[in-house]
Amino acid sequence: MPGPVRTNGMSSAASALQMLERKQQVLANNLANVSTRGFKAETTFARTMGNALAVTDTAVNLSAGTLTETHNPLDLAVEGDGFFVIQTPSGERLTRSGSFRLDPERRLVDERGNAALGENGPLVLPLGRVEIDATGLVIVNGKPTQRLRLERVAPGVDLQHEGGTQFVPDASRQSIPPAQRHVHQGFLEESNVNPMSAMTEMLEVLHRYGAAQKTLSTIDETRGIAVNDLAKPV
Amino acid sequence: MDPALRAAASGMTAQQTRTSVIANNLANVNTPGFKRSRAHFEDLLYQTVQGQQVLGDPDTQTAPAIQVGRGTRLAGVQRMHEQGPLETTSRNLDIAIEGEGFFQIGMPNGEITYTRDGSFQISDQGVLVTSAGYALQPPIRIPVDSSELTISNTGIVSVRRGQDLQPTEVGRIEVARFANPSGMLSLGQNMLAPTAASGQPVVGFPNDAGMGRLQQGALEGSNVEIVQEMVEMIAAMRAYEINSKAIKTSDEMGQIANNMTR
Repeated sequence: MPGPVRTNGMSSAASALQMLERKQQVLANNLANVSTRGFKAETTFARTMGNALAVTDTAVNLSAGTLTETHNPLDLAVEGDGFFVIQTPSGERLTRSGSFRLDPERRLVDERGNAALGENGPLVLPLGRVEIDATGLVIVNGKPTQRLRLERVAPGVDLQHEGGTQFVPDASRQSIPPAQRHVHQGFLEESNVNPMSAMTEMLEVLHRYGAAQKTLSTIDETRGIAVNDLAKPV
Repeated sequence: MDPALRAAASGMTAQQTRTSVIANNLANVNTPGFKRSRAHFEDLLYQTVQGQQVLGDPDTQTAPAIQVGRGTRLAGVQRMHEQGPLETTSRNLDIAIEGEGFFQIGMPNGEITYTRDGSFQISDQGVLVTSAGYALQPPIRIPVDSSELTISNTGIVSVRRGQDLQPTEVGRIEVARFANPSGMLSLGQNMLAPTAASGQPVVGFPNDAGMGRLQQGALEGSNVEIVQEMVEMIAAMRAYEINSKAIKTSDEMGQIANNMTR
């Protein structure tokens, strides 16, 4: 049976250093994706383990990014909650990045060539003018074809990021009723990273890192005194 | 510290690519038939660190698994085939396509390439050629004694020959369209070549079954919007700066760690 965590100042300071390093890695990734459309930032927060050790925890920040008008009929953005569903080689994935195009077979696909899914599977668009209404219904030359699938997950669920602005769907996924959808054609959602707050957080991380290191060195010096000086014959 | 440094470096590379795309767009703001491009990025794979583990016994707690991303990368540079503005030139050999479609141009090596640039000329052989001298396909031959060349919306080229009062039809311009024009390969000189991603060309007459119609005496301008590109450029520069700050911060943290032992 492992005993309870016995902490000393030294290991607490060390875990704080590690926690801040993780935090800096997450911040650097957020800042690197400041212009990745459909990207959702990770928020980090510290958690105490037992009664002293600090560890990092992260959660995906699903707040909306700003919508930019692109005038491209195959650029779609979702206002409010909801994700597009795409078919990838490793299964269905959720994404907020609605930069779609047509492949040689005129299927609606994303940048990587993964098919966007409609209610009856991948969408094949006939020749003509494409209009997509707020419910995600794709209309070509005035004729409705298929409605895009739009799903949401339960509030508070921490989705798993997969790269390529994709998320692994959670068991709580469910389709959004058409009346509650707000799809905008000709718009793209920008990254929701806020560079100002990320920079402020980064400065904070830097200063706390310095402070934790000072704490560690001070404890070390104190112990040095205990070991070296106390035992000295007067 | 290394992952943070590399994530920030990938961010800087991404912004550099974005700036080159913007610079090329801006350089072609006066190129007829030019289509702007935009860079598209995606986040790299995530690594799960810090796994789940039991640390204490009476109050058993598990460390939450966290995902750390590894930065960004270029997902693709997409050419945007929106209609450019039609600029009236009143030159009767300038033709703009309003809507979808490309002119087919025969290259010296026998291949067909595609362009939206409709500033044509008449060669010494009497055929319609591009400003670089490549012939429009199928060839349109203009007789020497012709005058008053007109091109209809549907591509019919007619001239008045000699002293005739009635115009004579000398040929019809055909246009080609693609399922995914963004997938075509840029050859420079306003020329595009089909690829597996663009699909096979569908050839037809202008203003017919979804093809664009022709407009004589006009040229399609570049679809680059200067203001939009400038705003993008400012955003790219700031993002570049921010990533360099992330590198600096990570470096300073490394220095602090190094100062722990003296």
